[in-house]
Amino acid sequence: MADDLTLDLELGRLTIARDAVAEIVAETALGCYGVVGLSAGTRVGRLLRREGISIDGDARALRIELHVVVEHGLNLAEVAATVRSQVAYEVTRLTGFGVASVEVVIQRVRASA
Amino acid sequence: MRDRVRRLVEGARAAIEANRRRIDDLNVYPVPDGDTGTNLTLTVRAVSEALAGEGADDRAGLAKEVARAALMGARGNSGVILSQIVRGATDALAQSDDLAKAFRSASDAAYRAVKKPVEGTMLTAIRAMAEAAERDPDLASIVAAGDETVARTREMLPVLKEAGVVDAGAAGLVEIVRGIHAVLSGEAIAAPAERVADEVAIEAIHQELSRYRYCTVFVLEGEDLDSDDLERDLEPLGDSLLVVGDRSALKVHVHTDDPGRALSLAVARGVVDGVEIANMHVQAQQREERLLHAVPDVAASTSSVVAVASGDGNRALFESGGARVVDGGRTMNPSTSDLVAAIEAAPAGEVVVLPNNGNVIMSAEQAAEHASKRVRVVPTRSLQAGLTALIAFDGEQDAEANAEAMAEAVASVATGAVTVASRDVELNGVSVDKGKWLGLADGEPVAAGDTFDDVARAVLERLLTEPRGVLTLLTGEDPPALDALLAELAEEHPELELDVHEGGQPHYPLLLAAE
Repeated sequence: MADDLTLDLELGRLTIARDAVAEIVAETALGCYGVVGLSAGTRVGRLLRREGISIDGDARALRIELHVVVEHGLNLAEVAATVRSQVAYEVTRLTGFGVASVEVVIQRVRASA
Repeated sequence: MRDRVRRLVEGARAAIEANRRRIDDLNVYPVPDGDTGTNLTLTVRAVSEALAGEGADDRAGLAKEVARAALMGARGNSGVILSQIVRGATDALAQSDDLAKAFRSASDAAYRAVKKPVEGTMLTAIRAMAEAAERDPDLASIVAAGDETVARTREMLPVLKEAGVVDAGAAGLVEIVRGIHAVLSGEAIAAPAERVADEVAIEAIHQELSRYRYCTVFVLEGEDLDSDDLERDLEPLGDSLLVVGDRSALKVHVHTDDPGRALSLAVARGVVDGVEIANMHVQAQQREERLLHAVPDVAASTSSVVAVASGDGNRALFESGGARVVDGGRTMNPSTSDLVAAIEAAPAGEVVVLPNNGNVIMSAEQAAEHASKRVRVVPTRSLQAGLTALIAFDGEQDAEANAEAMAEAVASVATGAVTVASRDVELNGVSVDKGKWLGLADGEPVAAGDTFDDVARAVLERLLTEPRGVLTLLTGEDPPALDALLAELAEEHPELELDVHEGGQPHYPLLLAAE
């Protein structure tokens, strides 16, 4: 799969590298409440993954997967739901690309303080 | 002591319920889905409900119980932050009534759980209240400091400034503290708004955008239907659940990420009709555009896709790609009228149909003739081919252009499948007994054997004779163990991207597509 994502627009094409989208995902996830870190995934295909983030699919239907570390003592289901909706929202808002799915894997729970 | 805590929480609940809608309307950050007031209300309500029962009556025990109820009942982003604030506060209140310590502990706990705190949110409000409490541990002045901070959030976060609103979560948090203050000072609390569950108008509940993607509505007809029972089964699937009607017909509304599952639960009880599934993320996005850019209308799609699929996972895959799915059933044999109905219901004037099975192509072509819309059939012979076609689809192009692009995409894909021979078949002049594993590549038998792995390997070899970028694997309703096979693949073809989905299709434990 090519490393760039392309969307046809009125006067030309918009091309954004998968890495750039992964960057947006990373920044957004780190801003989500409850997320205290990103974690490298453990699944097959790690080559393509940046800090446990994979961006599959095409510009109309991105499939995003990310691995996060969450603060201990929070409702994990709700934190994951927040990460899903915030990541999907930010990626669409900043790139105009469609997001088909966001899979959030809580890789670790960290107790601070 | 339990009674006192109960009254304080009751004050908080009444205050947030009274402001729920106003706060929902403020919600433009982090995602403008208008649910902050509802989420805070549900979280506080969980605490109030936990306290309604019997339990601890001592300081430490109550602190623990409140923190736990907030954690378990936390709804949405704002609810999670609130639960952490409650936890911090109760940690301190377990020791003493020292308000300065309680607010400081709440603020510290809130900040601890986030890597990059965003100012102009609930976090800012709790910190400002903690600072105020340290200056003067008087709730009235703490609330006043909270109000000031809420007013300033508009200037702190650009997205709030553009929308001209204050932060919803911060406003809600201050209302909660105000409610507690009202109880302590004996002030009247504004009358609580009606409970969400009491408002049965679907239009009203529709306004509450949710964290789930699909708004799913349908009518279930049957005999002796039990609405409570159905409600219980649907509950875990999502939120904004509403089941109304009588024992012969129920109208169901639910926000869920898995509309297929909701429909299957209903189908098991009776006949389902009038199914409507809307993608709410698109709705929320449109609302955001209205708020921030005042863009009038989002251009409607020129064309849309109707796809035949079987298996919950496959259905969800096609739906997430924007297709309207017609359930092929176990035999992948939908009626022409089902197809016509889906074509007419598709949200665009032109439609591309993906039959996804050789036996359905004919019905699809008949449906295309009978439908009132301009329809093109891309003769996909497998689910995998259909998915490939769907990825090439572009709603802004017309059906003709799409059909061409999609057929081209399908032609570039090699498909495979592993199944069990349902009758004796001939393979390279060798007969394969019924019941043996059978491997197919592009519809033709290419391998047979006693073990799934050997047959799957033979099919893969066929599919990967020329270099491929992506291999999609759809597992069937009886999914085989793929770990060993996937590990081998990763080793032998390090450049190949593996994309595994639980398709859930009958008859074929594994479907494959190599692009």
